[in-house]
Amino acid sequence: MDTVTRRKFLQLTGMGAAGAAASQLSIMQIVEAAQQRPLPTGTPIVVIVTLYGGNDGLNTVVPYKDPIYSASRPGLSLTEKNLIPLGVDDLALNGTMTGFKTLWDRGQLAIVRGVGYPVPDYSHFSSMSYWQTGVPHSHVNSGWVGRWLDTQPHDPFKAIAMGSVLPPLLVGVKNTGSVLPLGGLVVPKGILATEFKLLGKSSPSDSPLQAMAASSFGDLLNLSKQIAPTLAKPAPIPDDLPSAVGGSFGSDSSLSQQLDIVAKLVAAGAPTKVWSVSLGGFDTHADEVNAQSLLVGTVSAAVTKFLSQIHATDRSNDVTVLVYSEFGRRVKANSTQGTDHGTSGPVFVAGQGINGGQFFGDQPSLSKLGNGDLATTTDFRDIYGSILEDFLDTPVGQVVPNWKTKINGLTLKV
Amino acid sequence: MANNSDRLAISRLIHRFGFGPKPGEFKSLLDMGLSGASTKLLTPNAQDAGLATVADIDFPDRGKFPKPNTPEKLIFTQTMQSDRRSLELWWLDRMVAADNALTERMTWFWHGHWATSLGKVEYARPMKAQNETLRKYALGNFKDQAQAMVVDPALMYWLDAGANVKAAPNENLARELMELFTVGVSRYTEADVKAVARALTGFSVTRSSGEFTFDTKKHDAASFTIFDSTNSWDATSIINLLVARNDNKTFITDRLWFRFMSTSLPKPAEIESAFNSREILPAVQKIASYVSVVDPAMSQVKSPVDWFVSVCRALKITPSMVKNPIQVLNYLDKLGQVPFNPPNVGGWPYDEAWLNIASTQYRIAFLGFLIPQGDLSPIAGLTGLQLEQALADWLGIAEFTTRTKAVIRGTGLTSAQIMTIALCSPEYVVNG
Repeated sequence: MDTVTRRKFLQLTGMGAAGAAASQLSIMQIVEAAQQRPLPTGTPIVVIVTLYGGNDGLNTVVPYKDPIYSASRPGLSLTEKNLIPLGVDDLALNGTMTGFKTLWDRGQLAIVRGVGYPVPDYSHFSSMSYWQTGVPHSHVNSGWVGRWLDTQPHDPFKAIAMGSVLPPLLVGVKNTGSVLPLGGLVVPKGILATEFKLLGKSSPSDSPLQAMAASSFGDLLNLSKQIAPTLAKPAPIPDDLPSAVGGSFGSDSSLSQQLDIVAKLVAAGAPTKVWSVSLGGFDTHADEVNAQSLLVGTVSAAVTKFLSQIHATDRSNDVTVLVYSEFGRRVKANSTQGTDHGTSGPVFVAGQGINGGQFFGDQPSLSKLGNGDLATTTDFRDIYGSILEDFLDTPVGQVVPNWKTKINGLTLKV
Repeated sequence: MANNSDRLAISRLIHRFGFGPKPGEFKSLLDMGLSGASTKLLTPNAQDAGLATVADIDFPDRGKFPKPNTPEKLIFTQTMQSDRRSLELWWLDRMVAADNALTERMTWFWHGHWATSLGKVEYARPMKAQNETLRKYALGNFKDQAQAMVVDPALMYWLDAGANVKAAPNENLARELMELFTVGVSRYTEADVKAVARALTGFSVTRSSGEFTFDTKKHDAASFTIFDSTNSWDATSIINLLVARNDNKTFITDRLWFRFMSTSLPKPAEIESAFNSREILPAVQKIASYVSVVDPAMSQVKSPVDWFVSVCRALKITPSMVKNPIQVLNYLDKLGQVPFNPPNVGGWPYDEAWLNIASTQYRIAFLGFLIPQGDLSPIAGLTGLQLEQALADWLGIAEFTTRTKAVIRGTGLTSAQIMTIALCSPEYVVNG
């Protein structure tokens, strides 16, 4: 399986953190912001989970009673014993997704079906770029969250990506999000610390990239002072993990590590409204069935644990999680017990501010395929519309060009 | 004394088309002048005394994985891991040892281009064979390279082409062959992808031995159309078709310009004609002729391997010979780049991706491990202006900024501390 990650995407879109070099982040300001003005409770926080590689939607939310499903994928289709029926429209979750079933039953998980954009593109890089920029079939250099940052006062703490590479999602035209590596930060001490602080000042003869290299020293010294104590604390203790599925929450996936850090920082009051985390490995061209089940199980377990951790804080009503991938996969299996790149797929939206326990958007029909692929019944920009208007208090048209609509009823915001 | 513009141009040549200077090398290149230095650095050595010091390495066929939960399985796993580490360190040793590093540098570029990972291939033997193929064609003809690579067992296994049959073609290799390896995204249709996948059916790969077989019964030999040509296709005719396209000329020269010169300035159009015959060396030489362009957008960030290898060359460190060499691979992993382990088929990221607080902290920690094992004699006893100049010449830096000069001149610093500062200074991490 080809692990498609942010890095691959960043390299090929040529976007990277283009804006960051231009706007020198003053981490001192961020540190002061975190200390002096913690995000007030009641402020909506959005956590975006990107699944790189193209998740197989049909083996995630499964039309298990449709004979075309099993006939199209011999050896790859899931049967009832490996599924969790949702009791609506003959659809079931992959059997590994017990956590999501719990959220669904509590009304905290909505599933938007058949999500994509007009005229699908089968390249990982192009399709992921369209999702992250929010502008299909165009080559804009900013992400939709980045352009939302542009509508806000400059504050580099407002959107943070976990990891060491800034995804285009958070790159705006004038403002840009920040990155936070896993594993925390270690600061040099003594005389070298003093010298590195001096090395952190940019020089008039620096190129933009050299200035960026210089600023990373200052950022390291300053940010680590603020973040390190918070990261050293234990994560909030989940107070409501259902015992029936508790056993599956022990997995130490990189996604759950990322979300653990987000949970600590949310609990600590970081003035951050958008978080970006990710998981790769969904490009299942071969031997898909176990690998893909494991991956969606990981997503379900990590997100459910995260929401339980948040539930133990005073921000349990504030946090919404959005889970998407750049495309779904072909209905028919290929020769290597896998699936090739496809079109639309399901998007998950979870949290106590979500009108969950139900589907939005129509399930694409397996009998009306276009070129062997599923139809798109929901435009992803409608989901961005709901997030922007209901949680980030910004009209969608200010961020997504020529877009006015959202998914009515997706959130509990009235 | 060379003028400043020659210092900048030669600094770019030695860091981008090599892996940075060995001690004294930058000064001798400056003495040759830009033209002499270009000729020397852009002409591969027929015999390379530095490379001759690195013993070749051979990996036997380790056979199939033993059954789980057997004693053999544990030993097998350890052997496989040891093979992979030996392979990774062997290549790092070559990059450090080469007197003229152009061939190793280009092999490294092509590894990022046809990015195949041990993470899935697992066996060192087929990855070593692929590495030799890339080295053989590193500066040769791109068509020969592509013909060898389309049937390279490690690549075929990596992209699921090792079990690609007529009855249900797998599109993975077909798509990446067009999108990432030969013509570039959006320069073909979805129908072309499906057709190329059919053309590449019939192969099977034995991973442990690194061999492939071709079964005509599983190959789709029907006549069908790709790019308006109708034919009965196979891997050879597909490569001939793709490499002959003008898009191939544009795409490969774009990639070379992007990786060697600038990720933000557009490629000068005249470069493409240097690749008319698909010969790689003249195209590389043409691209290198732009090293004198003064523009901040020509800056490039050293990737973790570029940076580490240049540090080792300067400090006379052999990666496999350090105390606990596995630490070298661990640090490179933390920095996000280990040879033979690209994150995915698109290869590694570039520039801004390597500049953040995470990479800064790991570079500092890595130097804490390396510098005590290195030779710091080129700056022994020097202070002030002499120290600055000796450092810049040793490391191949055009000029330190006033900021870094002031830091280096800080009082009470040991040689090791001065080197830590110089080797993670913006002027060293980012080639100007």
